[in-house]
Formats: sequence, structure tokens, C-alpha cells
Amino acid sequence: MTAQGSQTSSVKRAAWIIVSTAFIAVCLRVAFFATPKIVTDLSNVVALSLAFAGLVVLTHYLGLLSLGQGAFVGVGAYAALHVVNDFGAPVLWMPLAGLLAGTLVGAVVAIPSLRLPKAYLALLTLSLAVAYPIILRQVDGNLPVTLNGGFVAPSWTGIAENDEHIWEFFLVAAYASVTLFFVQGLLRGPIGRAFIASRDQPEAARAFGIPVYRLRLYGVALSGGMAGLAGGLLMIPTNFNDYTHFPEELSIKMFALAMAFGGSRLISAIPGAIILIFLPVWLIDRNWVVEYGWVGLVKSEGFIYAALLLATAYLTKGKGFMHLFERRQPKSKMQPSNRQVTSVVRGLSDLDEQLVQLEGLVGDRPDIRSRQETKD
Amino acid sequence: MSLFLQRTFDSLANGSAYAALAVAISMVFRSTGILNLAQGQLAMFSTYIALVLATGPSPYMKFSSNTDLIGAAWPVWAAILGAVAISMVIGAFTERVIIRPISADPVAAVGATLGVYLLLGAFVRKQWGGRTMFLGSPFPQTVEDRWDIGGARLWHDSVGITLTMIAVLGLLAVLQRRTKAGLAFRAVTSNRTGSLLVGIRVSRVLMLGWALAAGIGALAGGLIAGEINVRPDMMGRLLVFGLAAATLGGLRSPVLAFVGGYLFAFLETMLGGYVSFVDSQVTLVWALLVLIIVLFVRPSGLMPRTEAWQQR
Repeated sequence: MTAQGSQTSSVKRAAWIIVSTAFIAVCLRVAFFATPKIVTDLSNVVALSLAFAGLVVLTHYLGLLSLGQGAFVGVGAYAALHVVNDFGAPVLWMPLAGLLAGTLVGAVVAIPSLRLPKAYLALLTLSLAVAYPIILRQVDGNLPVTLNGGFVAPSWTGIAENDEHIWEFFLVAAYASVTLFFVQGLLRGPIGRAFIASRDQPEAARAFGIPVYRLRLYGVALSGGMAGLAGGLLMIPTNFNDYTHFPEELSIKMFALAMAFGGSRLISAIPGAIILIFLPVWLIDRNWVVEYGWVGLVKSEGFIYAALLLATAYLTKGKGFMHLFERRQPKSKMQPSNRQVTSVVRGLSDLDEQLVQLEGLVGDRPDIRSRQETKD
Repeated sequence: MSLFLQRTFDSLANGSAYAALAVAISMVFRSTGILNLAQGQLAMFSTYIALVLATGPSPYMKFSSNTDLIGAAWPVWAAILGAVAISMVIGAFTERVIIRPISADPVAAVGATLGVYLLLGAFVRKQWGGRTMFLGSPFPQTVEDRWDIGGARLWHDSVGITLTMIAVLGLLAVLQRRTKAGLAFRAVTSNRTGSLLVGIRVSRVLMLGWALAAGIGALAGGLIAGEINVRPDMMGRLLVFGLAAATLGGLRSPVLAFVGGYLFAFLETMLGGYVSFVDSQVTLVWALLVLIIVLFVRPSGLMPRTEAWQQR
């Protein structure tokens, strides 16, 4: 590595440390000084950012479409709640039940649908999104199911008993940070590169020995697991669940936001979660939800999401707005970092050039018809 | 036996709607390779158009004070036909303006169809609210309008809907097999580049495909509205069954999708009728389970296996 490269790297690292420290400071300030309502909303944002990150993995890394992410979140919430209420599991472990349930349902949906064209996964997940509230209503009934237990902060935290929302926020943030860190690491490594290879050149990836079907299956299970974990985490600040929490519109809105704001970094999932939670609050605060006519349409949530989806489709060809910024990076950073891969690519292109030269030397071979004509 | 017969008769009207939606979805997917997720919402929107035409100017209309254009109330059948015509224009417009510029990228195209889905839903909610409204049936619908066959009641309404859908889809088949436009459509679905090379105007054919699909969806929505009433979410359930039925045809065979529509409606009615713990709402779950099982056991649907696997 050159001296200039090392200097840039250390500057970047320092910038990251400063930004992270500032972010943690802001979080602490908000957690301790904002109103309980805002802190609870922020906990929901942090939890849902995991579900968005799962969608980013699917759409931007694997090129797959899932229209049932809201249902996966719901599955996680259901499992988390019932593992405590019915099996007496400790409340702190409850998000892990969501993770397991989401992974399992993701795999069950993925196994049949991934054997066929990509549209089948979209079809099956959309069906799941529509069916989930109906199933939950049948299983849990019309009334909400409340969590049997609470989250009391340990004494060493100094958080008062009435301020349980602060402790809940830190729990959700801890789970989410660890998961995002782990998954981002996974995506930066060979698995992430294999995901991209299976998205862009599936046949070439197969030729290089990448098990494309199995990889996509793992991707859908991972995405489902992240959504399930998000569902489990949502139960920490919310404490109850019913069939109205995760309608099919939620899945479609999540897909719209993940498409618009997703990028190669999982951190891009956060804007989507913020908009999903705070947009309805903002619209209600401005009394826009009760307006009708053309003005009311433009100010409605459905129109905003539709405009976002159409703008993403036209302006970014479905790659998301974050992609526009990523493309502006210098070319050298877009090249594969793995030296072995680079050398293989160079070797292959040299071989290709030599083949072209050989073809030039041999000249055009006559086709069968011209040979027959000569014979005749 | 009479109960079984009754349930079979009961599944006819729903089966027609599922079959029509499945055919519409298959037609679009077959020609463009795009899964039109807005198909249900387009049908729902058309049903509201039919409602406006059938009831005349309504105090609920919020977007325009000039409702004189609509004039007096139309008969229900005329209103449905009017809505079908308007829907065909909307379908063609959607293909030309929204889908075609981005059709090269399937992810963007599916995103755009979802954009249309949300846009139509938002428009209808802002125009008419979420209330349930009633559009009558174009067929006789009183208690007396029925035939008693083997102790079961076969309603004129159900027979009318079924026969209309069979006739329309039969016409569509004739259109595809006996006309130049149909030949062009089949050529485009089979080999788009080859069609371009022999001088077929592919873009126009695709636009026609979208228009026909929207028209079929509108007809299904208008006919079934007499049974299920008109609501912004009226097509959600129908869309799931329609998608499941289209899957049985491998998303590419309109004939098998049509059969699948009736098959799913039959299963839905029988499960709801004979299995004690399955109520009318939960049948949707069973449809989903059947769909998953079909994909597990026979990923190509009812299509010949080789043909389906070539499409990967």
C-alpha cells in the first residue's frame, strides 16, 4: 500500500470514529432527554432497520424481490411473544425466537420458489403478506396478545424504574448493532461477492463453482431471519401484538423504501425505517390525512410511496438512490479488492486477446453450406 | 350429494373471477416477462368506474365538481362495458408510459407496477373513502332467480357470470388463433427478436396485450362486484387466488391458469364447507399451502416440465 493510500485510510478511519462517537452521543442524549413517545418510536426505527437491511440483502445483493418482509416481521413478533407467554422463556432472549422463526419461514418460502424464475419468490411472498394477518386473526383472535413480563433496567445502569423505555431502547440498539455489524462483515467477504456474482452473472458463477441456488436460499433465509429478529425486537418497546400490526401494505411500503434507499451498505436501511415510522406521524400532525381531492391525494401516504417507487424505477433503474452516489466513487475503489481475483481476471482477458489474435491468423473458416457448394 | 352439488355451484362465480385474473396475469407475464402486481388494483379501479357510470353523479365524488360528463345512471351491463373500455385505455397507457421505458430491468418494472398499485389504491381511498359500496349484477339476482337441480340451487347470476367469462376467454382464444393480431401476439410471446425481424410492431402488440389484460380484469371486477361489494381492498384476496391459479399454469399458459382459477375456487368452497376448522377467511391460507405444495412437487405447475424449465 502506498503512503498516500495509508494516509487516506487513516483519515477515513478517524472520520468514522468521530461520526460514530457523535452518533452514540446523539443517541444517548435522545434516549435520556426526549419524551418516552419519541424514544419508543426510535426503538421501532432501530428494530425495523434490521428488516430493511434484510430487504437490502435480497434486492441489492441477490437481485431478488420479496414483497412479504412485513409478514416475516410479523412471524418474528408472533414467535417472540409466544415463546415468553407459552414457554416461559426469559424476555431478554425473546428476539432470538423471532430470528429463528423468520429464518425458518424464509427457508420454507425460498425452497420451492427459487427453483423457478425470480418472479415466483415475489408471488409467494406477496401471498404470504396477504395471508399473514388472516392467519394471525385465526390463531390469536381479534384481541391483542400482551407480553407476560417487562424490561426492568439493572441497577448499574442508573435508569429509573419508570424510565423503562430508555432501557428498551438500549436493548434494541444493542441487538441491532451486533446483527448489522455481523451481516455487513459477511457481505464484505467472499459470501457477499458470491451474492453479487450470482446476481449479475449466475451462469458464470455456476461455472466458477458457486452454488447459486443454495446461496440464494441462504440469502432469503438470512433476510427472513433479520426480519424475524426485527419483529422480536419490536415487541420489546411495544409489548403487544395483534393482526392489524403487519398488513400487506406494510410489506409493500417496506419494499418501496428498500428499493429507493437501499445500497451496497446496510446503513442505508436506516432512512427507510425512519420514513416508515415517522411519515404517518408527520402527516397526522399536519392534518393532511383528512384532506380529499387532488391536494389530498398528493399529500397521502399511498401517493408518496407510489411516487417514490416510480421515481426509483425511472431515475435509478431500480437500483436505488444510494447507488447514484456509489457510482461517483473513483474507479480504482470499484475494482475487486481480492488480489487473486484480480490476477485471474487479468489472466482471462490476456487469454481472450491471444484467442482473438489466433483467430485472425487462422482466418475465417468456410461454413458447411459453402463447403457443399464447392463439392457440387 | 345435494350439499356437494350446492358447494360446486357456489364456487362458479368466484372461480370465474380467479380465472379471469389468472389469465390476465399470465398474458402479461408471457408477453413481457413482467409480473403485473397492479392487476388486482386495476380491476378494483375499473369496478369503481363502473359504479360511477351505474349510479350517476354521486355526492361521494370528491375530485371533480363537474359530474355532468357522466350524465344519468347507466344500466349495470352498460356501465361494466364502459368500465372495460376505459380500463383497456388505462392498461395500454400504463404499458406505454410507465412500463415500456424501464421494461429492460425486471426489478424496476415490478417496482413500477407496485407504484401503480399504490397510486390507484390512494386515489380510490381519497375519492370514495374506505366505505363499502354496492354495484348490482347485470344478471337477475332476486331469490326467485334460480334453478333447482338435484336439491341444489343454481343461481342465474352465477351461471351468467361463468358463461360470460367462458365466452370472453373463448373469444380471446379465437382472437389469438384466428386473427393477424393474435398471430402477432403469439409470435411476440414466442420470440421477440424474431418478431421484430419479420416486421411485427412488437411495442404495439405488447400494448394490446396489456390493454386486453386490463379489460379482462375489469370485466372480472365488474361481474364479481355484485357478489362481494365494492371496497378499496376487494381485490386483495382475489389477486392471491389469481396468482395461485396463474402459478398452476406456470405463469405462461392462459388455458391452465383458467382451469386453475376454477380449481382453486372449488377447493376453497369445499374446504370451507367440509372442514370444520376452516372458515371462509382461512381458505386463503389453504390456497397458499396448496401453492407451496404445488411448487414443491411440480415446480412447473401443470405445464409440461421441459417447457417450463426452458424458461429459467
